[in-house]
Amino acid sequence: MVDQATALNEYLPLKQFSPSGELGVTLEKIPKFCLFQLAGWPDTMAQTADAVIQAAGASNAPKIGQSTVGDKASILRVEPLKYWLISDQPMTELPTLASEVGCSLDLSHSRSWIKVSGTEAHTLLNHFLPIDLRHDQFIEGHVVTTAFHHVGITLWRTKEHYNLLLPRSFAASLWEHLTQSSVQYGVEIK
Amino acid sequence: MTAKRLETGGNIDRTRPVTFTWDGKSLQGFAGDTLASALMANDEQILARSFKYHRPRGIMSAGVEESGAIVSIGSGSRHEPNVKATSQELFQGLIANGQNAWPSVRHDFGVVNNLLGRFFSAGFYYKTFMGPNFIRSGPFEWCKGTAIWMQYEKIIRKAAGMGTASREADPDSYDQVHAFCDVLVVGSGPAGLNAALTAAKKGKDVILVEQDFELGGDSLNESSSESKEKLSCLVLAVQKAGVRIMTRTTAFGLYDNGTAGLLERVTDHLAEPSRCQPRQRFWTVRSEATILATGALERSIAFENNDRPGVMTVAAARTYLNRFGILPGQRIVIATNNDSAYTTATDLSNAGADVVLVDIRSSSSVAVSSGVTVKHGVAPLKALGGRFVTGVILARANQLGWQTDETLDCDLLLVSGGWSPVVNLLSHRGMKPVWDAGQACFLPTSLTENIVMAGSATGVWNRSECKTSGIAAANSVMGDKTVTLTQPTKPQTPIEPLYEVRLANKRNKSFVDPQHDVTSDDIRLAHQEGFVSVEHLKRYTTLGMATDQGKMGNIIGLALMAEALGKDIPQVGTTRFRPPYTPIAIGALAGRNTAHHFKVLRRTPLHSWNLKQAATMTDAGLWHRPWYFAKDKETISEAYVREATTVRETVGICDVSSLGKISVQGPDTAEFLNRIYSNAFAKLPIGKARYGIMLRDDGMVMDDGTTWRLSENDFLLTTTTTNAAKVMVWLEELLQLRWQDLRVHVTSVTDQWAAVSIAGPKARDIIAACLEHPPFISNENLPFMGVAETKLKGGIDCLIARISFSGELAYEIYVPAGSGENMMDLLWATAEPMGGCLYGLEALGTLRIEKGHVTGAELDGRVTIDDAGLGKMASPNKSFIGSALRQRPELIRADRPQLVGIFPKDRQQTFNGGSLLCKVDELSGFGEGWVTAVTHSPALGHWIALGFITGGHEKWAGKPVVASDPVNNANVEVEIVSPHMFDSKGGRMHG
Repeated sequence: MVDQATALNEYLPLKQFSPSGELGVTLEKIPKFCLFQLAGWPDTMAQTADAVIQAAGASNAPKIGQSTVGDKASILRVEPLKYWLISDQPMTELPTLASEVGCSLDLSHSRSWIKVSGTEAHTLLNHFLPIDLRHDQFIEGHVVTTAFHHVGITLWRTKEHYNLLLPRSFAASLWEHLTQSSVQYGVEIK
Repeated sequence: MTAKRLETGGNIDRTRPVTFTWDGKSLQGFAGDTLASALMANDEQILARSFKYHRPRGIMSAGVEESGAIVSIGSGSRHEPNVKATSQELFQGLIANGQNAWPSVRHDFGVVNNLLGRFFSAGFYYKTFMGPNFIRSGPFEWCKGTAIWMQYEKIIRKAAGMGTASREADPDSYDQVHAFCDVLVVGSGPAGLNAALTAAKKGKDVILVEQDFELGGDSLNESSSESKEKLSCLVLAVQKAGVRIMTRTTAFGLYDNGTAGLLERVTDHLAEPSRCQPRQRFWTVRSEATILATGALERSIAFENNDRPGVMTVAAARTYLNRFGILPGQRIVIATNNDSAYTTATDLSNAGADVVLVDIRSSSSVAVSSGVTVKHGVAPLKALGGRFVTGVILARANQLGWQTDETLDCDLLLVSGGWSPVVNLLSHRGMKPVWDAGQACFLPTSLTENIVMAGSATGVWNRSECKTSGIAAANSVMGDKTVTLTQPTKPQTPIEPLYEVRLANKRNKSFVDPQHDVTSDDIRLAHQEGFVSVEHLKRYTTLGMATDQGKMGNIIGLALMAEALGKDIPQVGTTRFRPPYTPIAIGALAGRNTAHHFKVLRRTPLHSWNLKQAATMTDAGLWHRPWYFAKDKETISEAYVREATTVRETVGICDVSSLGKISVQGPDTAEFLNRIYSNAFAKLPIGKARYGIMLRDDGMVMDDGTTWRLSENDFLLTTTTTNAAKVMVWLEELLQLRWQDLRVHVTSVTDQWAAVSIAGPKARDIIAACLEHPPFISNENLPFMGVAETKLKGGIDCLIARISFSGELAYEIYVPAGSGENMMDLLWATAEPMGGCLYGLEALGTLRIEKGHVTGAELDGRVTIDDAGLGKMASPNKSFIGSALRQRPELIRADRPQLVGIFPKDRQQTFNGGSLLCKVDELSGFGEGWVTAVTHSPALGHWIALGFITGGHEKWAGKPVVASDPVNNANVEVEIVSPHMFDSKGGRMHG
């Protein structure tokens, strides 16, 4: 588990802000997490999937645009040939793949992870993301790569949260957008 | 017009009085009023002055089509001009003022323009001020020409126009939001409400948009309590059905694939808006189906003085009476050519007004109350009264045209020239409306898209049929193939088309487009001057180009043009409506992407650390990078010279995290790199880095950088900061489209790493002191271009590569981004006591210029690998991207501009980047080359530069050249030298 300084440390004082008394949005920064990429080749995706399932402690590998929650990590199918393993719990080491099967890469420091929840979460996110986030459309498990102020980001839905993975160098700037727009709904920042 | 608020009636909340200010005068209205209704209730009649002639103007309508009551509201930074008083919701403390007048709209000296009106006809500006710059004879000819226009323009802009925008920064925020739905319904009249309810009951996710602050559309203008009760029930049903209702929201445009643009006015109606709320939201809504129940607008008729305060549409009077509880006049004349005015006549009469209804038709089947006097066969010829309407001269049609009839006294003249369905939004989708002669209006036609119009927007006028139309539209867009859309209503007594009333050959000011002061004579003049296309007519006369976009005047203008051409209206056609339907604030278009959020800012992992060390930052693309680290009030020039000197003499540390970093993995990676780089990469040993040049297909240099082989199948490719994204996309394209057989994955890892360059004679000492195993950094263990993984003290994993951009003994250290600040703390704590420095982009530039190393300033897309002096890196033994086309004759000419170093002949002199390099006796044209980068060289003690010049430095050795800067009128004699101006053999970096 890396001990990392997040890109948002100085932009994230713990606070609540609610002009109406209601909290429509909760923004939660995940300070430490592991993010590993496992990529296979077109004819080895089954083997790659096996490796991913084992590493994540999951029952199955997700299809394109989907995610699966495992005991040790969640699996995001971010591209046809690429899985991401993500966990806010310690993972021992970067899973390795034989070169004929695929390759793995540690991306733990490359992103900032923000969880967004609350009754107005999808409305807030739709300030920036041109994705249909209605509850019956962007359902639990969905994963997309989309644009946030022209920056490519990863979004996936878990039961309670919309999860954003922002490229680290852009994270503080995008965070400012999120927080400034969220105050109108009442926001709690964790 | 002697308007008064009635004791009862209307939808206003009489328990909530609202105080507002009009031209400095405190007035009172009620919650539920518009600014226009509140002003009318206070009997304010002159609310504006017209665009050109400064004629007094009052309220002409009750909606977004308003062309008379256009005012400014707010003050200071929230001053907003050109607001339609008829659309502005009243709120406590609202400040409204007249505009385009001095000293006030009631007494405006600008009215002198009205006396000179004959000179201000269509094309006035073109005829009067445009033309060649020489004196000719004839009226105004002496003042023609662009130069003199530049002088007149200031005066004209001040004398003619509309309101003035605030010069202060906009204090409000604006949001941009995306939304999705199954059915989007625009308009909440009878058709819209029923359409929304029908769709919602079928389980559809429905958004209902209404530009007004109340739902109901024309139902709000009903007089009976029964109608109001029905409306309340319907609205309640819509709310209960789960329809997402957006009031104060205008659908301003329709776009591809079911996309609609909406503007929501969030706080424009609030006395004290919360600072947390945006002023407006700009919505992009994507819907499976769209229903446009946008209603219809009542037209006026062109006759003399039809713009006098006290002349308005009939429907507007009904709105003010039944919705706002105002009797807009006491002695009212209603002029009409259709049945719709009759109900209003009855309502006004029942409210206590003396009403005379004049109908150009010979009869009507609609009954009116006994208090209404009806006269048939006459129409208004001229409104009487200097500042307000005091009467109307009627005219009767005869075989020759019109003849004067009786004169009626009145304080309010209401006009109905028929109705125009609001087809604007469908027009945005390319729909061409068709002229319905029976109803004298353009009606929408269908589209292949899932967009359907409903209600009076389709020519359905009866309220119950509008309801049926809305239901049918909803069923239609939901896929019911059996449904038949409601067809246009045929009135019992047909409308009699009437666009203008005037005596033959008599000139007068009868307005077609009041907002731009376009008269019927202007239309005829345009025709006389040869304009036959409606599109040209529009642009020549400016008809329909004001903020109402022709809502009031387009049909009359077309009719007059058709008459002049001897054609029918369908033959003349109509202009196409374009977005936006109503004006949109620029702020809403910009959203929150303003000021420092205009573009997203990229911060390196060391951003905060650099700022704590007093770095002055500069933009490098989207990145913020340290520019220099000033000490003791140093200037930038002093700081960068000190920093560069320190690097050469001791050691410096520079944040290079912004360099593009791409992980290239897979068993075919070496082969892949060998194809994209001009030099050999197939046999790059593990633990080694290599500098590479990447060409485009056309043989020009694309980017350069070092690539590190970390393991057999694992490489780290670095790019310039500028080209990181471009290279990443390029590699993806090659793998996905050209070389699908290669087993290679590329992944951007720019943000994964924090990176620094440690350069200078003491670089090795500094790093050794920071490593857990200092011997690791010895020359033997890590020779030039060596790469290895190790640990900094504290167990920080790192990659170290011995590479140099500065020409000094130098290393780059990469650590995971989250460990970046720890690394800097460690390195700086060691380097500072040893006399080291932090250095920024300015010093980095100096060091690389001294060495003749190229960057984006040189590799600008026009440069070949030979031009850059790197031709030896193009392998003759393999094929690579660009290897064929770089051999084109044009690209291998010996006299192409080539990279050179440049010294001022007088070493005390300086010269500018961007200067042209010219022969001494030919300081013109494009010269022989150009300067790409300049700096003071601490190592050489004088100004130096890099640039390109034809044939390269050997051709120009000993020959005088001038660095010419024609922009700044600076010419400096220079010498052309080798680009490797310092330590050309590279001894220092191998040290």
